[in-house]
Amino acid sequence: MAKSDDCVHILQGLLVFGNVVIGMCGIALTAECIYFVSNPHGLYPLLKATENNDIYAAAWIGIFVGLALFALSILGIIGVIKASRTLLLVYIVLMLITFAFEMASCITAATHRDSLTPSLFLKQMLEKYKKSEPASNSDKEVTKTWDELMLQNHCCGVLGPSDWQEYTSAFRLTHSDADYPWPRKCCVLDAQGLPVNLDGCKLGVPGYYNSNGCYDAISGPVNTHAWGVAWFGFAILCWTFCVLLGTMFYWSRIEY
Amino acid sequence: TMLPLLLLLLPAAHAIVKVQYRPALTQSPPLEGLTTASTFVLDQPRCVFEQYGNADIWLVVALDKAASTFNNTAGPGTPETAFQGFPDTVPAYMTLNATLANYPCPKPAGDITVLRVGSETSCAQEEARPTCNGPLPGPGPYRVKFLALEGSEPVAETDWSVPITLREAKSPSSISTTDRGHSAGMIAITTILSILFAILLAGLVAMLVFWGKPESVTVRRYNTHHVYDQPAARL
Repeated sequence: MAKSDDCVHILQGLLVFGNVVIGMCGIALTAECIYFVSNPHGLYPLLKATENNDIYAAAWIGIFVGLALFALSILGIIGVIKASRTLLLVYIVLMLITFAFEMASCITAATHRDSLTPSLFLKQMLEKYKKSEPASNSDKEVTKTWDELMLQNHCCGVLGPSDWQEYTSAFRLTHSDADYPWPRKCCVLDAQGLPVNLDGCKLGVPGYYNSNGCYDAISGPVNTHAWGVAWFGFAILCWTFCVLLGTMFYWSRIEY
Repeated sequence: TMLPLLLLLLPAAHAIVKVQYRPALTQSPPLEGLTTASTFVLDQPRCVFEQYGNADIWLVVALDKAASTFNNTAGPGTPETAFQGFPDTVPAYMTLNATLANYPCPKPAGDITVLRVGSETSCAQEEARPTCNGPLPGPGPYRVKFLALEGSEPVAETDWSVPITLREAKSPSSISTTDRGHSAGMIAITTILSILFAILLAGLVAMLVFWGKPESVTVRRYNTHHVYDQPAARL
C-alpha cells in the first residue's frame, strides 16, 4: 500500500509541479503578447494596410490564453491536492478549450508570417506611399510609417532604391523621375533633415544615399513577433499536453 | 592659278576634326542613378578638346536612328535643334553648352566629373529655352556626341556613343503576391498540435466513458493492512 501510495504522491507532486510551470508560462505568454501588441517597432500600420494583421489577432488571443492558463493552473493544483473528481473534470475540460484557442493562435501566427513576403510590402509601398488625393487614412499611415522607417534605419525601398526605378508608383505620379529618382528620405540627411548632397543623392553616388533595402528592418521584428507567439505557444502546449495526460490518468485513479 | 588654289583651301577651311573620343556612361564610381527612366550620366570630355580653347562645346543628343543623318552645321538654339521639339519634330537636339574652362585637364583624382543628361525639369516645356537639358521623353535608345563650335562653325566632333537605352518601369500590379509557400515550421506546428489535440480529445472521451462504469474503479477508501498483501486487488 505504501508503494502505491507513494506512486500516487509522486504523481500528485508531478502534477502540482506541472501546473506551477503552466501558470508561470501563462504569465510569461501574457507579458510577451502584451509587448507585441504595444507595437514597439511601429510596423502596425504596414501590416494593417496589407489587410493581414492576423499576427496581432494571434497576440491578442495569446494575452487571454496566458491569463486563462494561470487561472486554470491554480484550479488544477487545488484539484490535485484535494483529489476531487469534479474539480479535475472541470479543469480538464476548460484546459482543452484553452488548448484549442492557443492552438489557433499559434497556427495563425505561423501561417500569416509566411504570407508577409517582400513582394507584398513592395506592392503596398508602390501603391500607397505618398499617394496624392484621394488618399485614405491607411495610405497616410503607410506614408508616415515608411518615412520613419527609412529615416531611422537608413534604408530605401523594400529591396533598394531601384524599386522606385523598376516600377511605376503613386510616388512617381507626383514626383518626376529626373528630380526624384527615389524619395528624399533615401538620401543621407544632415541634422536639419536636408540631404547632405542633393546632386550626389540624385546621381546615386555611394555615401550620399542609402543603398540597402528596408525589408530586413521590417521582417526582423515581424519574425520575432510571429515566431515568439507561435513557438512559445507550441512549447507551452506540449508541456500542457503532458500535464493533461497525467491529470486524466490521475483522475481515473482517484477513489470514487 | 588663284582659282584652283582657292578651291583647294575652301574644303580645308570647312573640315571638321574628328577627335578620337567616344562619349560613354560613367563607369567609375559606380552610380545607382547611372540610367533612370528619363536621365543618364556621361563622363565629362576632359583632355579631349585641348586645342579648342575658343570653342563652345555642345552635347548633341539624338535618337539612335537619327544619329547618322545629323547635320553638323545645324546651329544650337534653333527650332531644328530645340529640346522642346524632341523627338517628334526634332530628331536631335543640342544642349549642355560649355567651354574648355569647364573641363580642365587633367581631372583631379577623387573628383566626380559627370554630366547628367536630363536633369533640368524647369525648362522642359519652355520654348524660349531651346537648349534646355530636359528629361528624356522615352527609353530611347539614344546616341550622343560632343561638338565644338567656334562662332557658328563646327570645328571638332567626337565619335557617336554606343546606343544608350534607359530604364523602363513596370506596373506594380505585375508583382505577384499570391505564390507564398508554407514554411516547414508552420507545417510542423500545425500537424503536431493537431495530433496532440486529437489525443487529448480521445483521452477525454475515454475518461467520460470510464466514468460511466464506476464498478470497475471503485476502490474502498479505507486502507487496511490486508491490502499490503494483495497489491493486485487495487486497480
